[in-house]
Formats: sequence, C-alpha cells, structure tokens
Amino acid sequence: MATDTDSLVAPRETGAPRPRGSARSARSTRSARAAARRPGGRRRTGVAYLFLAPFLVLFLVFVLAPAVFGLWISLTNWSPFRATQSFVGLKNYIELFTPGSTTSGDFWQSMLATGIFTVASVPFLLLVPLLVAVLLNQRIRAGSFFRATFFAPYVLGVAVIGVIWKYLLDTQSGIVNHVLGMIGLPDNLPWTVDVPWAWITLVGVTVWWTMGFNTVIILAGLKGISADLYEAAALDGAGAFRQFVSVTLPGLRQVMTFVVTITILASANMFGQSFLLTKGGPGNTTRTAIMYIADQGLSQNNMAAASAMSYVLFAFLAIISIVNFRLQRERAEKSAS
Amino acid sequence: MKKRFAVRAVAAAVTVGLGLALTACGSNSGSGGSEVSSGDYTGPKVTISFWNGWTGGAAPVLVPKLIDKFNSEHKNIVVKDVPMQWSDIGQKMPLAVKAGKGPDVAVGHGDDIATYAAQGLVLKADSIVKSLGYSASDFPAGLMDAGKYNGAQYAVPWSVTPLGLYVNKDVLQKAGVDPSSIPADKTSYEAALAKLKTAGVQGEWVDGYVFTGTFEFESLLWQYGGDLFDKPVTKATFNSDAGVKALTWMTDLIKNGYSPANVAQDGNINALIAGKTAFNWNGVWQTTNTAFGKLNWQAVAVPQIGTQKAVWSSSTHWMFMNNKGQDKNKTAAAATFVKWMNDNSADWPKTGELPAKNSVRDDPKLVKDYPALKPFLDELPYAHYEATAPGITSVEATITTAVNEAVTGKKSPKQALDDAVAKANALIKQNKDTYGN
Amino acid sequence: MTTVTSRPGEPGADAPEQPRRIPARRKQTPQQALRKSVLYAALIVLALIVILPLVWILLTSFKTDGDAIRNPYSALPNPFSFDAYATIANGQQPVFRWFLNSLAAAALQSVIILVTASLAAYALARLEFVGKRIVFGLIVATLLVPPVIFLIPNYLIVQNLGWLDSIWAITIPGAASAFGVFFLRQFFVGLPQEIEEAARIDGAGDLRIFLQIVIPLARPALATLAVLSFLANWNDFLWPVYVLLSPENLTLQPGLSQLQGAYSTHFAIVMAGAVVASVPVLILFFFAQKQIVESVATSGVKG
Repeated sequence: MATDTDSLVAPRETGAPRPRGSARSARSTRSARAAARRPGGRRRTGVAYLFLAPFLVLFLVFVLAPAVFGLWISLTNWSPFRATQSFVGLKNYIELFTPGSTTSGDFWQSMLATGIFTVASVPFLLLVPLLVAVLLNQRIRAGSFFRATFFAPYVLGVAVIGVIWKYLLDTQSGIVNHVLGMIGLPDNLPWTVDVPWAWITLVGVTVWWTMGFNTVIILAGLKGISADLYEAAALDGAGAFRQFVSVTLPGLRQVMTFVVTITILASANMFGQSFLLTKGGPGNTTRTAIMYIADQGLSQNNMAAASAMSYVLFAFLAIISIVNFRLQRERAEKSAS
Repeated sequence: MKKRFAVRAVAAAVTVGLGLALTACGSNSGSGGSEVSSGDYTGPKVTISFWNGWTGGAAPVLVPKLIDKFNSEHKNIVVKDVPMQWSDIGQKMPLAVKAGKGPDVAVGHGDDIATYAAQGLVLKADSIVKSLGYSASDFPAGLMDAGKYNGAQYAVPWSVTPLGLYVNKDVLQKAGVDPSSIPADKTSYEAALAKLKTAGVQGEWVDGYVFTGTFEFESLLWQYGGDLFDKPVTKATFNSDAGVKALTWMTDLIKNGYSPANVAQDGNINALIAGKTAFNWNGVWQTTNTAFGKLNWQAVAVPQIGTQKAVWSSSTHWMFMNNKGQDKNKTAAAATFVKWMNDNSADWPKTGELPAKNSVRDDPKLVKDYPALKPFLDELPYAHYEATAPGITSVEATITTAVNEAVTGKKSPKQALDDAVAKANALIKQNKDTYGN
Repeated sequence: MTTVTSRPGEPGADAPEQPRRIPARRKQTPQQALRKSVLYAALIVLALIVILPLVWILLTSFKTDGDAIRNPYSALPNPFSFDAYATIANGQQPVFRWFLNSLAAAALQSVIILVTASLAAYALARLEFVGKRIVFGLIVATLLVPPVIFLIPNYLIVQNLGWLDSIWAITIPGAASAFGVFFLRQFFVGLPQEIEEAARIDGAGDLRIFLQIVIPLARPALATLAVLSFLANWNDFLWPVYVLLSPENLTLQPGLSQLQGAYSTHFAIVMAGAVVASVPVLILFFFAQKQIVESVATSGVKG
C-alpha cells in the first residue's frame, strides 16, 4: 500500500496512492482481541501510551485538531485579516448549494472537472497497468529492466512531468503535433489549450506518469497466482483468454480492490497536472476541485468558504468509498457462495 | 607562543568590534533609533528582505547588480533580493506578512495596493513620500493616486509597462507589406492583415490568456470609449457596446483567418520569432527578450482600432510591508533603499520597464541609450493604468475568463462578457462587504 | 524483431520459481516464436514511449533559446550550447539546491514516519490498553479523509508555529501517518509471537522486544513504508507551493513550477531545469530500483 503520510495532512496530486483496507481491519481487530485473551495478555496501558506518544502527539496536532478546526472554520466567516471571527452556522454550505452565489457556480464546475477526470482516467489507469503487468509476467528476458523503465516516470515527480509534457504538447512548438503531422494527422491540435484535447492530455500524461506504479503492484499480484490453477484450466481446455477471465482476474481480486481504491482517490485529488499543464483552462473547464479550494482558501483568503467546500468534497468521496466497499464486499460474497 | 597569539587575536577582534560598533552608532547626533521620516537610514545594521517579481528578461542579471551596488555603498543596510513570480507574490505575501515572514519592502502592481492596504499589510507611506520629495506631478497622471487608499498614501510609483505592437519585418516584406510604414490605424492594419492572408500568413495570433489577450482586449475597450468599471468601482462596465466591439474585433481575427484558433500561452510571441506571424501585441518588457536574437523586428505603438487613442499599461510600486512585529529600523532602511533605487533608475530600462518618474524618463539620454523604447514612451500620455479597489484582482480574473471563452469559441463575445460582468459585480459586492467602505 | 527461443526449465529474468506455462515442450513452435516477438515488440514500444520524451527533453536543453523556438522540430541542437544550463546555474532558479531540499525533506519525513508509526503499530498490535479500540478506530477513520480537509487549518497552525518557509512545514505535519500505523500494525499482527513470548518469559521489556525482535523481522515492511513515504513527500506539490516562500527554500516540485513560470517559452532553459531535476533522481533510482520496485509491489499484496 502506498503511504499517504502527506496526503493525510497535506494535499498531493494523483499518482501517490492511498490505501483502503477496511475489510482487512475488521479481521485483524478480531484477531487482536483474540490475542489479548491469550494467556499473558494483560493491560499495559502506561507502556502502550508511551509507545503511542510520539505518533499521537503529531496525530493530535496535525490530523485531529485540524479536522475539527477546519470544520469550525467552515461554520464561521473566517478572515485571516480580522482579529475575531463570528459563527455563521451553515451559511457557507448553503451558499454552495445556492445557484447564483459567488462560489457555487465555480465550485460545482470544479467538482464536475474532478468528476470528468476521475471517470476518464481511472479505467485507463487500471487497464493499461493490467495489460502491461500481464506482458511483464510472461517469460521474458530483461524483465526487471522493463519494469524499472515503466516505473521511472513516477520517481521524477509531478512538476518535472508537467513541465516536460507542457512543452512536448505545445501547440506550435511541441514535437507531438509535429509527429502527428508527419503521419498525416492534424498538426495543430490544442493539447493544453482547449477541450476535449485538454482532457486527453490530462489523462494521457497521468497514465504515462503513474502507470508504472500500478503495474508493479498488479505484477506482484499476478506472480502470487499459483501456476497449478493455470495448468488445471488448460487441461480443462481453456484458451488464453478463458484462462485470463477465470484464473487471472479472480486471483487478482484482492490486489485490484486495493489498486482501484487508491486510483480513484488519487484521481479525485488531482491538482498538479491541471495546474501545470492547462492552468485549469480553457476558462476554468479543467480546474479541479482541489485547485479551486486551494486557490479560494489560501490565495483569495476565502478560508471559510474553502473549508466548507473541502467538507462537501469529503462527503462525496466518503459516499463513493462506501459504495465501492459495499460493491466489493457483495462481489466477494457472491463469488464465495 | 600559542597563548600570545590568542591574546593578540582576541585583542584585535575586540578592537575591530568596538570600531564597528562605534561607526554603526552613527554620526547623526540625537537620533537614538531612526524614524521613517529621515532621509537616510543611520541606525544599527539591518538586513531587509525585498520581494519582487523580476524573474525574466534582463532583470535577473541587473537587479542583483543594483542591489550589490547599494549594499556596498551602505554599510549598515543589507538588502536581500527575493525574486519570485508575480502571481506567487500575490498568493503568498498576504499570509506571510500576517505571520511575520513577509518582506520589509516589496514591489507590486497598481491593482494590488488597495487590497493590501485594506488588509492592513502595508505601512502608510505619506511621510516617506514627503521625505523623498515626491509629489503626484512627478509621475504620469493618476499613478500616484493608484497607491492611495482611504485618503492615505501607501505606495511609491516605480515603473510603467505599456503594451506595444511587435512586428516581424521580414514576414511583412515577404508578404508584400512595406515594413517601413507599419500600420497605425484600423484601415491600414486590417489591410495589412488581408495582404498577409493572401500571402498565406496569419498576421496576428490572438490568445485567450492574461498575457496578452486580456491586455489587448482592455486596450481595445478603451479605444472604443468604454471602461472596465465605473469611477468609484461599484460595478463592472466592460460588457458595454465598446466591450462587445472590442472582443468581437479579436474573435473576428480568428473568423477572418488572420489568427489560428486555440493559440497556446505565449504561442503568438513564439510564432513571431519563428517567422510564422507578423504582428504581436505585447508588453514593453519583451524588448529585452533574448530569443529575438538576430530577428529583424521592431516595436511600435499599438494601432488605433477604435475611435480614440488608448493602450493598456501596468505600473509597479514600492510598498513598505507591515509585518507582524515589524522592525521600525528595517522600514527606515527600506525607505533609504527605495530612494536610492529611484535616484539610480537610469539603467532600469535595461529590464524592459519604463521608469515612472517623469524626470528620469524625460531625460534625452534615455531615448538615446534605449531607442527601442521611444514608441512606448510616446504612448504614455494616453495609457490607462489598472483600476484600484480592494480585492480588484479577483474581479479582474473574470475579464480573462470572458476573453478566453470568447477566443476559444465557447461563448459569443456578448455572452462571455455579460456572464463575466455578472460574476464581477457579485465579487465587487463581496469585496465591499469584506473590506468595508 | 527478434525470435526468442525459450528453453524449457530456463527461467526468465524475473520469473519466479514456478514456471508459468505448460512445461516440457522440446522446441518452440512458430506460433510461440511469433507470440514472443509480438510480446517483445510491445514491451519495446512501451519502453520507447517512456524513454523518447526524456531524450527529446535532454536534446532541447542543449539548444540556444532562439534555436529552440525557431527550430523546435529538429532533433539536434544547432548550435550545441550550454547557455541554458549557465542561466540555471547563474540565475535565480537554484535547481540543484531544490533537489537537495527535496532530498532532505523526504528523508527526514520518512525517518519520522518510520519511528513514530512502528512504535504506535507495536502498541496496537501487541499491547492491551485502555482506549485501544478508540485509538485504532480514530486512526482508521482518518484514512478515509481527503487531504484537502487539512489544507487550510494546517496552514494556519503552521503559520502560528512560525514554520512558514522552513523544512519543518513540509515534514512535520505529514509525519503523522495513519496509513503507516495501519500498514505496520497489520504486518506486526501477522508475525508469529513465539519468539516474543519466549523473550518476555525471560524478562525482556516491551522496548527490548520491539527493538531486538519485532523490528528486525519487520524489515521488508519498514522498507516498503520508507519507500512509499519518501516518494509521497518527494511528489508533494500543492502544500509546498503555499508554505515555502523564499526561492532557496523551495523543493523541486514548486521550484520547477516557478521556473516554468519565469521562463515560460524559453524552452531550452525550462528543459535544462527539468534535466537537472531528473538526472540525479534517475541515477539514484536505477541504483536502488530493485529494492524500490519490490517494496512498492509488496504494498498491494501484503496490506
């Protein structure tokens, strides 16, 4: 699972995935309780909190307190240039849902941008790594060279990627348009200027950047599928495709659940690619929710409104996570029965 | 042996230290700590930080040189140059000042001042201006007032940067347009564009970005007799007939085939350099663009497309920041720095900006040294500077959105402007609530 | 297109102990050879898609400014010039300094995460204490919260602590890794307890058991967490953009964004910056790639 150390308290852009493992946590707390009931398991509260202290201090100050503080800010008319703030109840939230207010139009446009990007990118961020992982899983030479090459873009960092591809996709000076022109396609496509090209750019660059990350995880999952299962399927007369569907995919279930979750969350939190490649353009069409919230909160000093927006986004993502989790559980239960 | 050396070293150090302390105490009798109003800073040694947005062109070389010269001439002041993008300054400075981590002196644009003043981030500069001996008539009309807020002066003008017309003379020549008489009015400009089109050249690439689509739009708006806001900035007026005419002229360039659609950021200046286009409306700062190289180019005043002469210009101003726990000595040192820079601004045109002080600009030596700047200097009498009101920059963003939407064909010029004005008016109202009177 | 003959029993470069296909074919059929060729072709094309853009960037960085704009499509710089790099070195954009800042911040945060998360995970995995359920529940709950929730409040907190424009701002707030605790706890729970119990009977205290038994056994998980934490901090963009102010304190991501803004169409200079930002990273990566890639790989399987 990817660390989300920074993601928990400081925003990151897509590509640095975050874990989901709620199903596993239920199992492990049960086992923990069982362990406690074993002979020798007695309460050692003082020692425990000593172990927990370094983490808890950071956690309280930079995770719990801000979460509550942020909620509080969203219920006030917070301004950093005023000494005292006043409570305004749900005014900020109501304004977000009121058409015609200064923030609602832009906010929902940015949510739409986030939605479009997530829906457009997640399938590619799952299928391409899956395909590449299957390719890498064959008996080939230099497999680890290929694996490292595909992973390499991820270590470069989002800004390097953004800067590089902004140039490569430049309408007039970028080599991509030139190559397209050479093979007979239009050579003046506005990759970073206009939609729908900008969406293709954002999705494409994200795939190029983070494909290796998901590939590597899926590849490990593939290697964990026993060869006997393939043998059995082959003996039953299954061809390559049938084997893929009935052996590979089920065997990848746990890994894919993980990858799907982190990918959806990473896409929903996308910031860097929009900021660097399209600057949210044309107009504000590709300005994602994170871009808008950060701009409103820290540049326009609309901290209260921005906090409210972040909680609305949270609610959306929570609903999606719960739905995703339920779907996964249903599918798992269905296949188990 | 070692011990004697050590004793001597300590003695030497003490002597030097005492000497420094004595000289630092200053020869000015009667000034314990320095006040903002004194002409030259004579207090204890301070380091002041200076935020500016001069990251491009010749500035990264010239500005450190100037600062080094200042530092060497002033033993008790060290200026730390902190350049970052203009947009970053706007983003980071307010909260940094609030936290006490902002600069002691900064350069900002005319439309920033009222906002910072209303947010309590800037110190009143009335006494500094007085001690520098400046008055409004020392600068282009209205520039000094850009730094006024609620009756007090908060900024000192530094430079002005108008828009101009950059021309690739080789492209003109090849298309059969006489490069020695560059069009200056609507008829001849459009005739030139038509001629370029028949020669297969798209003559002026128009873009939908702040740099420079918005500047071009605003210039045209003023040329057609319109304005961005009403005088007291209570409502937006850029969707007037003049505004629609201005934006339609720009979108018509695309419609008539004089400009490609979807020009990328800076695509037009690059196209000029690459010989793909003939005209580019751009700022005076481009006169220092090293990528021009051996290009056969010239810059002139923007053509008069509308009914009157007008052109967009920005202005930069010095501001003395009111950090949390601001050190008075540092502010006084900053005032000395600003005065010195103003007195030594003869070389400033090297960075592609025009000094704001009339006397520096009107010096015939300036035009002799920088002949490329003459057309820009001639524009100043009819240049329009930024609107000033607290929070105005967020309102100005709606203009760019409208230009972008119209130029990329998403909305008709009228629709785009109307939508933007609706948004702008809502923001103006919100600003009034946030910042009061 | 190469035809590859695979000899039975000979493992591929990264094939594990178990063979993938039906074994014991004496020779390769033309069909198999074709499959192999297509496979290699596909992999090579993909690898080129990764490598060629980077090569193009490198070439562009050696062009002069004017050349880059006038001849953007010619591969070879004409003339070959170090001007762009000179500007980077002499100008106000200290790209290498940014690289060092990123390195320091990522390393520091990873260390803090490893220390705090492993200690906390041990308590949650092995110890019984009052409030255990609440603490663990809180930690798991925060895994669901999107990072943007913390953006504004943490900014205000960091501002009040006086940490703006310092390395603390970009390392401490993110060092409370709920994911790290969760991940390590899962791992610790899966470790067999016999050795620990034996040590406990011998009278060893919790700290000794933790340091001398659990940690050594947890090395692969710790390596994974270290790699993931390092990469996450390295990639951090939004947060440093707002909390870092002076040019020399920037990290690589916001710094490059600023470089792009300052030199937007001076492509050679921007690409030179990208190269300076990439080359050291890529060198480090290729030395450690096996470890890094395998750490990331196991994160999905173990967790």
